[in-house]
Amino acid sequence: MALILLPLVFSLLAWFIPSAFTRLFGLLATGLTLVWSIVAVCYFQPEEQILIDFGLRFVRFSIDSLGFTMILLTNAVLFLVFLSNFTGKLVNDNKFAALALLMQFGLLGVFTTNTILGFYIFWELTLLPIFLILYWFGSFEKPRALLQFFLYTLLGSLAMLLAVIGLMHATNQQTYEALLVADINALGNTSIWLMGGFLFAFAVKIPLFPFHTWQAETYTKAPVAGTMLLSAIMLKMALFGLLKWVLPIFDGVATDFWRWPIITLGLIGVVYGAVIAIRQSDIKTLFAYASLSHLGLIAAALMLNDYDTNQIAVVQIVNHSIVSIGLFLAAGIIEQRLGTRELSELGGLAKIAPRFGFWFAVLTFVSLSVPFTAGFIGEFFLIKALFSANALTGFIASTTLVLGAVYMLRAYQAPMFGPSKFSSFQDLHWSEITVFAILSIAAIYLGLAPQCLTDFVAHSLTQPTH
Amino acid sequence: MDSIIILFIAGLVGLFAGMSKKPVASILIASFGLIGAGLAAYFRGSYTSPFSSYAAYVPTQSMVIILLCAVTLLAILGGYKRYKSDDEHTGDYLGLILFSLCGAILMAQPNDLMLFFIGLEILSIPIYVLVGIDKGSSTSAEAAVKYFFTGSFASAIILFGIALLYGATGSFQLIEIQSNLAIGIWQSPMAMIGSLFLLAGFTFKIGAVPFHFWGPDVYDGASNAVLMYMATVVKIAGVYALVNVFGQVFRDSYFFWIDLVSLLIVISMFYGYITAWKQTSFRRLIAYSSIANAGLMLFALADIHNSNLFLFVAAYALATIALVAINSVINDDSDALANWEGIAWKNPLLGIALVLALFSLSGIPPLAGFFGKFSLLWSAVPHVPYTAMLALIASVVGAFVYLRLMLLALKKPSVTVRVKLSLEQIIVLVLTSVASIGAIYFI
Repeated sequence: MALILLPLVFSLLAWFIPSAFTRLFGLLATGLTLVWSIVAVCYFQPEEQILIDFGLRFVRFSIDSLGFTMILLTNAVLFLVFLSNFTGKLVNDNKFAALALLMQFGLLGVFTTNTILGFYIFWELTLLPIFLILYWFGSFEKPRALLQFFLYTLLGSLAMLLAVIGLMHATNQQTYEALLVADINALGNTSIWLMGGFLFAFAVKIPLFPFHTWQAETYTKAPVAGTMLLSAIMLKMALFGLLKWVLPIFDGVATDFWRWPIITLGLIGVVYGAVIAIRQSDIKTLFAYASLSHLGLIAAALMLNDYDTNQIAVVQIVNHSIVSIGLFLAAGIIEQRLGTRELSELGGLAKIAPRFGFWFAVLTFVSLSVPFTAGFIGEFFLIKALFSANALTGFIASTTLVLGAVYMLRAYQAPMFGPSKFSSFQDLHWSEITVFAILSIAAIYLGLAPQCLTDFVAHSLTQPTH
Repeated sequence: MDSIIILFIAGLVGLFAGMSKKPVASILIASFGLIGAGLAAYFRGSYTSPFSSYAAYVPTQSMVIILLCAVTLLAILGGYKRYKSDDEHTGDYLGLILFSLCGAILMAQPNDLMLFFIGLEILSIPIYVLVGIDKGSSTSAEAAVKYFFTGSFASAIILFGIALLYGATGSFQLIEIQSNLAIGIWQSPMAMIGSLFLLAGFTFKIGAVPFHFWGPDVYDGASNAVLMYMATVVKIAGVYALVNVFGQVFRDSYFFWIDLVSLLIVISMFYGYITAWKQTSFRRLIAYSSIANAGLMLFALADIHNSNLFLFVAAYALATIALVAINSVINDDSDALANWEGIAWKNPLLGIALVLALFSLSGIPPLAGFFGKFSLLWSAVPHVPYTAMLALIASVVGAFVYLRLMLLALKKPSVTVRVKLSLEQIIVLVLTSVASIGAIYFI
């Protein structure tokens, strides 16, 4: 219980912390929740579930092993966000600390709630802090881009709200366990519509190909910490919802109907995102489109709804969080120190900042999914699954490896090598090195021993009946 | 019945206390009257009332009475600054509001159309006066005249509808009308036209399209203090009466009017929100937002057996009062939206109350507005799924309106001038904020 409520308490406390201590407070608060969740995981048996009830009619919680994975991921991401911005101005602002912790509370709610309405409520709750973070700390000259992001996601969410109401009416159930055994297939076409509502919300959030227009601009204009929160953990809500809620519940007619449309959109995103990323000159926008490409692959593979693939997808979800924190941190460091993000204006940083050069290289290789990193396990098995479903989709999906290499190597080579265009570049602060080190160790550990994660989450993934 | 008596006495005493030219005395008497009326409603049935023989005439549920009293209490506290400045008339203002509230309670859930009509008039007439009470201002006078003419027109239409129904069924009692209609009379043209006249009149009173046109002008001409009462209590009472009359009387002709109501919902929401978009005056924006919200309230008609209206109207009223109260802090004379720029930085409480109210109106969980919308749609979706879909699209437009206002208010100004709030304003803002978060425990 404290696991979920702690961030909320901290978030309220943060308003009263003097700004000189805010960054320490944020670090300690997220660190405490992280340690707490690690301890809780150590005492947790993967087969069991922890039920939490606050006496609310529509919102209850139950934590299973997938939930615990996501809790750990959330708390780790929040901790790393605070740590990586330790030298920035942002974390000295208690508004940011309070909002980020509020967002952590919302995310933990999404990952642990047991009722479908609770899922919706927490899903929307996360929108509130990220909106204010982007508004207060982003560099949006005009509110148009920000409003586009907000209204786009709101439209998706409202479609989901309709689907939630429809699902609760149609099955007369609201808890996860009851919805799993409810006979959704008997609803026929209605179930297709209901699943469509959920998928629309997820497609906006992930984002899938035609619904991605909010992404690049929002990522680019957001502060680094906001981009990290968005891409490393907020988008995972949609993949999590797909994995835990929608696919098991709508297993059958509806999933069969939506499978190939979503896989198609996902794969279009894979190729489209990669091609656009190759053409980008702004390093942050480049990473935004790279994210579109990577997430399209995960979404496409998830739609196969295959027991083994789903476990691997969790590895890839974690890997994408690692990669996006690392890459956006690197982009943020460049922007913070040099005041520019244009690839053409950068160059030669590896000579003057060797530590930065080294750690950025490690993260680039993790992102390229070279063997012995989590990305390799993830992408290899996801592409293999898509390949066994259909050779053509497998082929299209595998282009991500080649195209990914093109844009990632370009993103690394342009700022790092070539003639030095800057005389001074302050090398990494200890907090940034710690972040890079944690990320690299996590990625390599998961690459060497993915079964520790897949076996852990396997207990809470349901075996599809089809 | 006790609540009405208490309110009436408090209103009378307040009128005389107003002669002392001590605004504090008037506001205290009015507040205690409202709290007493709320308590009387809460404990109704658990004590023997001296007026128990009249109880049948006021069948309004305790919850609704408490809501009306609470909203009025917040409204008079929020407007107290304004009432105080006119200390010769403080007693008159508060007395009129309490009398009008008696009418609201009488009409909210009637079982007799005659009593309902009397309640409606008791509700309306003091408000005509309140709108025009600022005698020096020409917009105020214009608003009062406009509201008076259009309002009496609406009353006449409702009265005509009642007369037609009486002609068709021979009764004013809702139960008798229903049982007479149930045996097939509702297909008679007289009853059908009667139901349409009633619908038109009600639409007028709650300000939904197509009888919304008085709203923006009247809201604009009324002062913030009166607006707080007018935009909330009238709507709550009106929509409850509408649901009650239609739910009891016309449930057999459901399929005759539900399509029409769906159309009104969709048009009201789109019209209200799209028009609110370009407003430059705050009170006009609130007026258009209230037109859209009136459309949403009509969803209660979709499932007449289980309307789930309470949370929505409560959330709407709290958020509207909070916003107008904020407007009255910064913007009492002029009414320009431009003055909202950066006000969240002038006082942290203003900022928090404003963000909560606007997110609540946009329907973002876990705030009251979301639960209100959810419970409304929860009963409506199985009956009118496509209307619900369109309504949700319209609420995205609405969210745009509210967010624009919020971005304006959150914009960091170059120089921050702190604003001090008076005690009663702090009470109003804290109560509305707490209530909009605490609603999660009521679902």
